[in-house]
Amino acid sequence: MAKYSANNLLAGTQQAVGATYKTLVGLSAATATLCRGKAYDVLIGTDGTPADNVLRWDISRQTAAGTGTSATPVPLDPADTASRSTCLVNDTVEPTVTASSSLFVVGINQRASYRWVAAPGSELVWPATNANGIVLRVLSPGYTGTATGEVLYEDQ
Amino acid sequence: MLRPGGYSTLITPDGPTVEADTFTCAHCNKVVEVPPRADVNFISMCRCCMKPICNSPRCNNFACDPIEKKLDRAEKGGSFFL
Repeated sequence: MAKYSANNLLAGTQQAVGATYKTLVGLSAATATLCRGKAYDVLIGTDGTPADNVLRWDISRQTAAGTGTSATPVPLDPADTASRSTCLVNDTVEPTVTASSSLFVVGINQRASYRWVAAPGSELVWPATNANGIVLRVLSPGYTGTATGEVLYEDQ
Repeated sequence: MLRPGGYSTLITPDGPTVEADTFTCAHCNKVVEVPPRADVNFISMCRCCMKPICNSPRCNNFACDPIEKKLDRAEKGGSFFL
């Protein structure tokens, strides 16, 4: 299956991190090109002025997309076709997130970077249902700069 | 951890890189970090599907409802979670 890279530097303007969740990358299925997706690699960090603040990163399930900039995920193999999943980045209006559906939460210092890689069979899977997918989002009680997030995934 | 379901790496400028094994809950897909030298009972196992599950009551206290079933249900228009 084709693999893709999506991050919030692909399109749009990075949004400032705040006390409520800001979605950096949202991946979801779309009716016209319905397929499941599997996220297997997540990389997160900040690119603002270094300081000591805590950032809480979260990946949850969404059932409706927010308002963000449409990005074109990059195929890891240039011979592959464009991704069939929808990718929205740098949301200005948050998507509808299913309550208590958090798949991944990590609180890390602003100066730190974090990476999670799944073994085959342990990926984060979203259903082939329109607008259903996962969102990578962040909040911080103190940090107001920008953050970077990248998700590597495959279409099924 | 024997046969981990993933790997996490925390890179900080001030300290050593912290690495840990993870597993992905077979019922809800949640990623759980396993601390080094964690007790064998740290990971719950579903005795029906015989896969590791997280400690969330939704995964632990009810009948086996694997992620594959949840995905199928969502794709047929039903509720993802029971």
